[in-house]
Amino acid sequence: MKKMLRMLTMSLLAAVLLIGVAACSDSSKSSGTSKSDGKKVTLDFLWFTDGVEGDVMRDIIKDYQAKNKNVEVKLIEVAYQDYTTKLKTMIAGGKPPALARVTDTGIFAEQAMDLKPYVGGVDKFTSQFLPSIKPYYVKKDKIIATPMDVTANGIIYNKTLFKKAGVEVPQSPDDVWTWDEFENAIKQVKEKGGAKYGLLVDFTPHRYSTLLYEFGGSIFTKDGSAPAINNKNGVAALDYFKKLHKDGIIPESVWLGGENPNNLFRSGTAAAHLAGNWMLSNYKDINNFEWGVTYLPKGEIRSSVPGGKYIMGFQKTGVEKETAAFIKYLASKEVNAKFNQNSLFLSARKDNNELDYAFGKDMFKVFSNELENTPEVAANDWGNQVVISKVTTDIRDAVVEVLSGGVSSKEAMDKVAEKLKEAIADSK
Amino acid sequence: MVEPIIKEHAAIKTAKKSSFRSDKLKRQIVPYFFVLPNFVIFFTFIVVPAIVGLYYSFTDYDGLSEMNFVGIENYKEVFQSSEYWKIFANTFKYAFAVVPLIFICSLGIAMLLIKEIKAKGFFRAIFYWPTMISAIIVGVTWKWIFGDSFGVLNYLIESLGFKPIKWLSDPVFANMTVVVGTIWARIGFFMVIFMAGLQSIPTSYYEAAQMDGASKFRMFRSITLPLLKPTSFLVLILLLIESFKQYPLVLALTGGGPAKQTTYLVQYIYEFGFKKGELGYASAMSVVLFVVIAIFTVIQFKWTKGGTID
Repeated sequence: MKKMLRMLTMSLLAAVLLIGVAACSDSSKSSGTSKSDGKKVTLDFLWFTDGVEGDVMRDIIKDYQAKNKNVEVKLIEVAYQDYTTKLKTMIAGGKPPALARVTDTGIFAEQAMDLKPYVGGVDKFTSQFLPSIKPYYVKKDKIIATPMDVTANGIIYNKTLFKKAGVEVPQSPDDVWTWDEFENAIKQVKEKGGAKYGLLVDFTPHRYSTLLYEFGGSIFTKDGSAPAINNKNGVAALDYFKKLHKDGIIPESVWLGGENPNNLFRSGTAAAHLAGNWMLSNYKDINNFEWGVTYLPKGEIRSSVPGGKYIMGFQKTGVEKETAAFIKYLASKEVNAKFNQNSLFLSARKDNNELDYAFGKDMFKVFSNELENTPEVAANDWGNQVVISKVTTDIRDAVVEVLSGGVSSKEAMDKVAEKLKEAIADSK
Repeated sequence: MVEPIIKEHAAIKTAKKSSFRSDKLKRQIVPYFFVLPNFVIFFTFIVVPAIVGLYYSFTDYDGLSEMNFVGIENYKEVFQSSEYWKIFANTFKYAFAVVPLIFICSLGIAMLLIKEIKAKGFFRAIFYWPTMISAIIVGVTWKWIFGDSFGVLNYLIESLGFKPIKWLSDPVFANMTVVVGTIWARIGFFMVIFMAGLQSIPTSYYEAAQMDGASKFRMFRSITLPLLKPTSFLVLILLLIESFKQYPLVLALTGGGPAKQTTYLVQYIYEFGFKKGELGYASAMSVVLFVVIAIFTVIQFKWTKGGTID
């Protein structure tokens, strides 16, 4: 009996160990694989899709594979909400993909491969792209990613409701509205145009920060060494954001009730949506009302918030050389143009600033103009991703707390400033 | 002549004895093999991660960089964090509302549905159905009903000429919607457990009590409740653990808002671990949550004397 029990215990342990060994084995190798004869290489490419860009990328991969018979690029699509967690898990598990599409470049800066040796140095490479996005992909003289597209925040409005209310939107950058004028316009669209909701603002600190910059504020000081979000301008921006909610210009249901602003805008009952250029491909199929893009109202200054998507290669994959070659191909003028033109995105390359879009050419011009009028501090703030990624939830929560009447704007921003200080100290 | 017979008899006896021994052995060993797959899964996906989590709670692990041992720093931070205890209070309030409400409602429905009523099967199915739906879908469904702008309820209220109610952007209403959603989703599961418990009570007890002229309430108090004690204990323990672990339903329904008023511990821990990348701190919060649930379970166990019938 004892012998049997011992055997049983041994078999249980063996089974557990077997699972453990299976789970831990091969951990040094990445998801990118290279055959032993060195001929065929597979590059795992982690990807998320907002609109149609997944199909466009598949076409580009097909072209690349036709030219490079020894390379197979495997596009692995993951839903955006799980994306960062999935990528972190892959890296932490010792199996990073060969490359990935990323928005938060700073989080993975230490794990990213340096593209510098493959692209002819930092200056030569960065000179091809918009200067404002440099902090996103150059860290400590390392090129950690290549920019693919840039994003800008802007105003998408319901043309049908504005027409009905007899309100005309600014036609050129010279006659943009002030926030007071914009408030009045929205009130009119609600009263005369029948809009149920005024301005929808996405439930993210990124979109909220548009107001912060327009009020002359910023998240960090110019050199990024200290928080600035709780200064006079930062507090004034939040006070105004609260006022817009109280006056019914912005519906409370988005920031307090978790309502999806995209759905509200699509319903045709909202006057305008403070979103980004990526929404153009999303709203393309709306056919129950007319919509368009207009300039953001101005505060002390005009501002949008730059963002974008980047392609990052990873270290310790064993296929770094092939990955760099593919990334270089994606960064080229022709491929970048094809990707952005067909996906309806703004290109990050300077020489692709006038693409021949099949849809909304004029709308893209408005978004480009917003970017041109954005202060450098906005790019520096959001480019400081190692720190900003740790406090975005705190900023959002603080804004919500103010909107729900729990604390004053000053108290909330002071609290965020403390979190920022901690994050800055941790990053050193 | 006699000797071979005796030998044969002895041989049969030995064979029988050895066969009996091997049967006994089989009976003792075989169940372990049936348990083996579950044990391996439990060990790999529960025990090992729990040990790893405990280890992480003493480090500054962020999921990517090298981890450093920080001693009890994370625990100190947990106990000093006013926000953690605010979220803990949210979770406790939620549990305080949900546990008795589900307990009473599921017991009441179970008592109704064990009686011989028309369309009994239909009603049982109606109440049980929501338990088969994923918590995320339940959350989305209730959001569709309670949504401030698009909700069915507000549409009806507005159609009747009244002002819409801020179901999800007002803290009180938001908490209420989460409780309503949870009750709807979980009542069927506990109803089935209670039905099993109620059906195990011999009907002769009720017949005898009836003959003695006991009222319905007296029968409920003196027969049903005491004999249902083991089931009640199980239901209370399960409900308490479930309510402290609430996450998917509330995430889909309110997202934890407004202003974290419906954020409960698991969502808070998840956000620290996976959104902020503070896995060490998140692990420490998980360990504290584990200890709290364990304490409540022990108190409940002692209080109800382990669910034994007096």
